[in-house]
Amino acid sequence: MARMAGSDELNWIQNSLAGDTGAYAALVKQHQKMVHAVALRMTGSLADAEDLTQETFLRAFRQLDSFRAESKFSTWLCRIAVNLSLSWRARENRRGDVHSKWAEKAISENDSRGGFPDELSRRVQNALDKLPAKQRAAIILTVYENQTHAEAAKLLNCAEATVSWRVFAARQKLKRLLKGISHDQT
Amino acid sequence: MTKPELDSILKKARTPERPEEFWEEFPGQIAIRLNRARTENFRPKRNWFPQPAWGLAAAICVLAAFAIGHWRGGLEAIPLNDVLANAKVVRETLAMFPNRVRAIVQDERGLNLVLSDNDDVPDSTPLYVRICDGKQCSSFVTFSGQEIQVAGQKMTVLSDTQGGIILTGNQFVWSNTERTYAGNQLKIEARNLDLVAM
Repeated sequence: MARMAGSDELNWIQNSLAGDTGAYAALVKQHQKMVHAVALRMTGSLADAEDLTQETFLRAFRQLDSFRAESKFSTWLCRIAVNLSLSWRARENRRGDVHSKWAEKAISENDSRGGFPDELSRRVQNALDKLPAKQRAAIILTVYENQTHAEAAKLLNCAEATVSWRVFAARQKLKRLLKGISHDQT
Repeated sequence: MTKPELDSILKKARTPERPEEFWEEFPGQIAIRLNRARTENFRPKRNWFPQPAWGLAAAICVLAAFAIGHWRGGLEAIPLNDVLANAKVVRETLAMFPNRVRAIVQDERGLNLVLSDNDDVPDSTPLYVRICDGKQCSSFVTFSGQEIQVAGQKMTVLSDTQGGIILTGNQFVWSNTERTYAGNQLKIEARNLDLVAM
């Protein structure tokens, strides 16, 4: 098992499977920032990202015996985080006109506490928030997690062409939403 | 805007940063939740004792605990959902952060770890403390000599070799052996946690 994992990671996974929560804590420490970053990009909210990060690691622990090392452990975690974010978003959407409310909430939350470090970062997150969730997931995986369209397709359980289309559509929207920002801006 | 220009803008965007303490404590929070889930999900596998007998036994236990509580001077029984009363949870949490756990606190916000920056918390018997201010209750596991802020009160917890536990705050002093209490209306309970024997 875990051909793609390092030896430390392999030990932690095996010990976690034996019920050692200390070993699992080491795995969490190794990947927590990556999972949190994905959740934050998906939700645009620090509080929601923290909840989703916790849920991701709890879900991963329960499903650890299904990790077959066909991918890296980090990719496997990423898949859980993205899918949880998507289902969480769908659940939120069913509660009403949440899409716009959510973006507004995230914007005001970020504005009021200055969570994002600069104006560029805040504007980019606001633009990501306005994308449909599946397009946002495709952008996060391909741009921020540097996955190929084929890898992202496997992770999102859809065809590679679907991912390519989502990325294309998302880019068109992002270009419009981020118009006026120079790529030289820091 | 070209594709590389858009990518450049997207990649320059940074996410809010959490303080390092957040990341230090996060794995512990996950482990605590896993241990808690494990405890809560525990169910006896064999139903060898008839249901009515279980009901009768539970009723006798509740009555006995109630009577003992009154006999011992009004101490509140530890609630069943008090995770800190579970030795396994406490033992595994302490093992994860050797000599760094200043306290494990359970209050209305859930479970929280209070960690020292360095591994400078001396080995000693863990102390279980439960404080109720009206209906609001907090419990924590800590060690002698630690200064803890719980339920809006900053207090120092001390213990002696005879099992005595003293809590001193700005406005109160409490001891489990002398039954002395000077201060406000907090209800306090404290005892040594013998993790090996439990």
